[in-house]
Parts: sequence; C-alpha cells; structure tokens
Amino acid sequence: MTRWAGLFRLWKGTPSIALLGAVGLLIAGVALTVWQEQTYRAQKSREIAVQAQILAASVTAAVVFDDNRTAQDYLNALAVNPELEAAAVYDEAGNLFAGFSRPDALPPAGRVTARESSVEGGRLHMLQPVIQNGVSVGVVYLRAVTESLAQRILRYAAIMLLAVMAALLVAVLASAHRTLTRANAALEKQAEDLAETNRRLHAEIEEREKAEDALRHSQKMEAIGQLSGGVAHDFNNLLTIIKGNLQLLQRRMIQGRTDVQRYVDSAMEGLNRAAVLTQRLLAFSRRQPLSPQPVNLSRLVANMQELLRHSVGDKVEIACQLDAEWWTLCDPNQMENVILNLAINARDAMSGGGKVFIQTSDIQLENAATAYEDIMKGDYVRLSVRDTGSGMPEEVLNKAIDPFFTTKPLGQGTGLGLSVSFGYIRQSNGYLNIESEVGKGTTITILMPRHALAIPLAQDKMTAS
Amino acid sequence: MREFAGACCKAERVARRTKLHLPAMTAMFVVLGMTARAAEPSLEYAVKGAYLYKFASFVEWPQTAFGEADGAVNVCIVGRDPFGPELDQAVAGQRLGPRAIVLRRIAVATRDSGCHIMFVGGSNAQSVAAALAAVRGTPVLTVTDVARPGGANGIIAFAIENNRVRFDIDDRAAGENGIQVRAPLLALARAVRPRGAP
Repeated sequence: MTRWAGLFRLWKGTPSIALLGAVGLLIAGVALTVWQEQTYRAQKSREIAVQAQILAASVTAAVVFDDNRTAQDYLNALAVNPELEAAAVYDEAGNLFAGFSRPDALPPAGRVTARESSVEGGRLHMLQPVIQNGVSVGVVYLRAVTESLAQRILRYAAIMLLAVMAALLVAVLASAHRTLTRANAALEKQAEDLAETNRRLHAEIEEREKAEDALRHSQKMEAIGQLSGGVAHDFNNLLTIIKGNLQLLQRRMIQGRTDVQRYVDSAMEGLNRAAVLTQRLLAFSRRQPLSPQPVNLSRLVANMQELLRHSVGDKVEIACQLDAEWWTLCDPNQMENVILNLAINARDAMSGGGKVFIQTSDIQLENAATAYEDIMKGDYVRLSVRDTGSGMPEEVLNKAIDPFFTTKPLGQGTGLGLSVSFGYIRQSNGYLNIESEVGKGTTITILMPRHALAIPLAQDKMTAS
Repeated sequence: MREFAGACCKAERVARRTKLHLPAMTAMFVVLGMTARAAEPSLEYAVKGAYLYKFASFVEWPQTAFGEADGAVNVCIVGRDPFGPELDQAVAGQRLGPRAIVLRRIAVATRDSGCHIMFVGGSNAQSVAAALAAVRGTPVLTVTDVARPGGANGIIAFAIENNRVRFDIDDRAAGENGIQVRAPLLALARAVRPRGAP
C-alpha cells in the first residue's frame, strides 16, 4: 500500500516534471538553433576568409606589377563560388584595381573605405590585405551572401518542429499520466468501497447465520414441544384406555366374574397402539431396522386398495393408474405405511371430499430434469399421489417435511407422517418431491431406483400376470 | 560578370609606390594632367625602375649567390642608365626579408660583378649582348629595356603594351643562370620562353 502511495505521489509529480521537460526541450531547441547559426556564420566567415587569403596571395604579383588583367583572371576564377556576390582588388591607395560582381548584385565600390571585415544585411564583407615582402600593397575585398534569414529559419524549422513535437508529446503524455492518475485514484476508491461492501456483506451473512441458528434452535424447541405434546397426549389417551380397562378388569375380578376377556383385549389393543407409536418414533429416528426386498409398487398399491378406501372414507374417491412394471428394493410394510400416510394426508386436505389419483410408472432419467435436480440419471419407478385438495402455501410447503410440523389440530397429527416417509424413502435410496398449488391440490412424487438384478423382465411379466 | 579595371590613376599609384619626393610627384601630376600618357619617358622609367627591384621578391637565387645569410641584394645598372636618381630614392630602405636592396651602377659587367639583378642598358664599352654573355651561367637575373624579337634579350625584357609596362620572361635563360622565376611572375609575363624550348 505504501509502495502504491509512493508511486501515486510520483505520478502526481509527473505533469510538472513533464512541463519542465517540454520547456527545457524548447529552450534546448532554440539554443541549438542559435548555436548552429553562430557556428554557421563562423564557418562561412572562415571559408570566405580563406578564399580572401588565397586570392590575396595569388594577386600579389599582379598588384605589384600593376597587371589588373591577371588580377581580373584570378577574380573571375572565384565566380565559380555561388556564394560570392562581388569581389575586388584594391591597390595600396584604396582604389579599385580589378573587380567583378554578379549581374543582380551591387558592383564593388570604387574605393575601399572600410578597414575591417563586417556582416551587414545578410552579407559578409571580407577584407584581406595583400602583403608583399612584409608590406601591404593592396586589399582584397570579397562580398559573400550568407543564407537569407528565411532560408535559415526554414533550415532550423525542422529542428524547432521536432522540439515542438517532442514538447507536445511530453505534454500529451503528462496529461495522459494525470488522467491515469485520476482514474487510478477513482479505481482505488472503488476497490476500497467494494472491500467495505464485502466486509458489510460478510457481517450481514454472519448475523443472518446467527439468526438462522437461533431460528433453527427455536424451531427445534417448538418441534420438541409439539412432539412432547403430541406423544404425551397420545400416550395419555392410550394409558387412559389401558388404565380404564385394567380398573374394570380389577373390579370384575374382585366380583369374581370371569367375563373379563374384552377388557384384556381392549388393554392389549391400547398397548399395541402404544407399541406402534413407539415404532413410528423409532422409524423417525431411523433406528428402525428395515427389511428391504424386491417390491413391485403397482402390485403393492393394488393389494392395499381396499385398505386405502377404508382409510380415506366415502367422501374421497381413489383412482389408480398402475403402469410400473420394474421392481424396486424396499421394505414393503414401510412402503405401505408411506402410501397410506400420503392417502390420509390427501384426505385431510380435502375436507369437503375429492379425488386421490395414485399413479405408478417406469421412467428413465437421461438428463437431470428440473423437478429432480439432484437426482442421478438412471432407471426409476415413479409413484405419485395427487389430490384435488386445498394445496399448500409456500411457507407451509417449505416446512412440510420438517418433523413434528403439522397443520392439523393438536392430537390429530404428530407431524411425523411426511417426515418419516421422507426419511424412509431417502433411506431406501429414493427421492420424494412435493409440488403444491393453493386451491388446486398437492402432488407427492416418489422415485425409487429400479432393482435390476431382482427378476428377469420376462419372469417378472409372467409373475405379474 | 562585370570587370572593373582601375587604370585611371596609374601615375599616382606608381608615384606612391615608388615613394617619389614631393617635387617629383608634383612634376608627375603635371605630366599626368597634360598628357595622361604612361609611355612618357620619365614615367615609363619610374615604373620600370620600381619593377626592377620588385622582381627580387619573385625570383629565387641559389644560396651560393649570397655571401652571407643577410647579404644584400645587389641591383646593378650596367652601361646606360635611363632611371636617374629617382631610382636611388625609390630603392633606398627597400628590403627583401633580411636583405637590404642596394643599387649599383657599373660600366662593364663581369662574372664577378656580384650583381643579383642586372639591368643591361648597353654602352659603347660593352654592348647588351656582350654584357649578357659575360654573366651567362652565373646566378644573375638579367633585365633588358626593350624586347627585341630574335635580339639580345635578358631573362626579363620590358615591353610596352597598351600604354602599360609589361615584360617577357626567358625562363630557359633563367634556368641556364641557375635562378628560379616564381610562377606568379611567370603568370604576369606577356610571353614566356619555357625551359624546354630550343
């Protein structure tokens, strides 16, 4: 983080550094131009001076012996240098001895007046004495055109252009840096915000988990309360029956009567019912040993149709469509209990009467269907129990499988029926699914894995027929 | 290209260069004003006289020609003297580097005259041809007044051309005398007889 902060500070400093750099570049460009200009002038000056010296040495004899024709020849030879605009040789009195000038240039003066070389109006006036035997016998004059200012500016324009472009580039980079810096800062802030949000989310999740734990705990307590209530009530009823019968039995025995069999039977029945209740509780806690065997669900349902009709009463009609032919492996008694349970639940959901459809079929699950998301693909036997009852709202549906959850009044249901059924089906490697719509009814679907090894299909069919 | 020849003030230039004293200059101005002729005898010889010692700068003698390192350059006038005392005044104080330039007048030239530049005027005592023959093969720059085709000419022979004093150079004769006429002077000559010439 500190590293980033340091980098950030560096970024922040960059624009001013870049600006300084750009200004520096411009100054350097100007300095370079000025320096080049001076160098150029000095070089031109030297070049012309050398030419003047050569000319002076060449024309010495011509000046001494007053031969302006020869001097003229030497001067004419200089005309090949395009920079030279005019040239002249003056005698020791300063009078023009010989000279030439280009057509469009000023002719050299008739007398030499200047003493020293000079630069004037873009022209270099070079004077060089003609020395003979240590004595000045005349002066050589050269007038050279230095490049015009426009030409030189044009020549330096490239340099300046480069400098300006470099400066611009630096400026653009600097502005880009600044933008990037801002963007970075914004990003960093966003990241921090995100981290903060994440922290809050985590805290909320934790709180929610705590709340859920608490809720679960309270639900458990409620369930235990319901269980205790239900079980106590049931047992109390049974105990009342047993106690009553035993009291009657005792009175009869004191009276010495022997017609006591029905009291004993009643007490025994109460005990049996208590035993069944215990059995169910054990099944719920999954401590009940199961004795699985190959079962054909169609046949199972067919065999218990009479029982189902008695259980649901006259107001409710039962319709069966039993197409399943495959076998499955389960405890048939428990399966009967499950089906009976579902039928009774269906009946209870239809207080005004209705219809219960019981269907069995064989299905092959190739792909996980939406309704059975977590189911392995394979062959299954399906059993569904559908009613045309009141259906369940969402919150009830969500808790339908919970143990001890019941919508029935106290004493009528233990809240264990569906829960025990679910436990048993899962124990038998099957699946149980509930679909419900308020006002239309509920469908409970059970999928049991096909028991392929049991009996060959042909034999199965034979047996079935 | 335009050329500008400064021929107008020749007399003045010559006068200055030869450092003539005031009366002589005045005389020259008068002459100039009257005739403006370079070929006027006294002016012609003033120029020729000035040239005479100025040749020294453009000629190289062998080291043996001078007795000492700073020995004088002897300019001799043999026989007839057309220059007069003006030349003495012009030469006075002239130097060639460390060497003084000394003007001498002799009647007859011999191999041992000790002259470096010799103007051969010719006289009854010794003709121009005889004087030239006398110093042939010795390091002497001989100068004669008027170039004569096929005649007896010195290494340098004055000539008048377009009213100007010009000269021919016999470089072959210079080679025979063991002296070297430098190229700038050769370049100024009206005609040059090269060394390889017959």
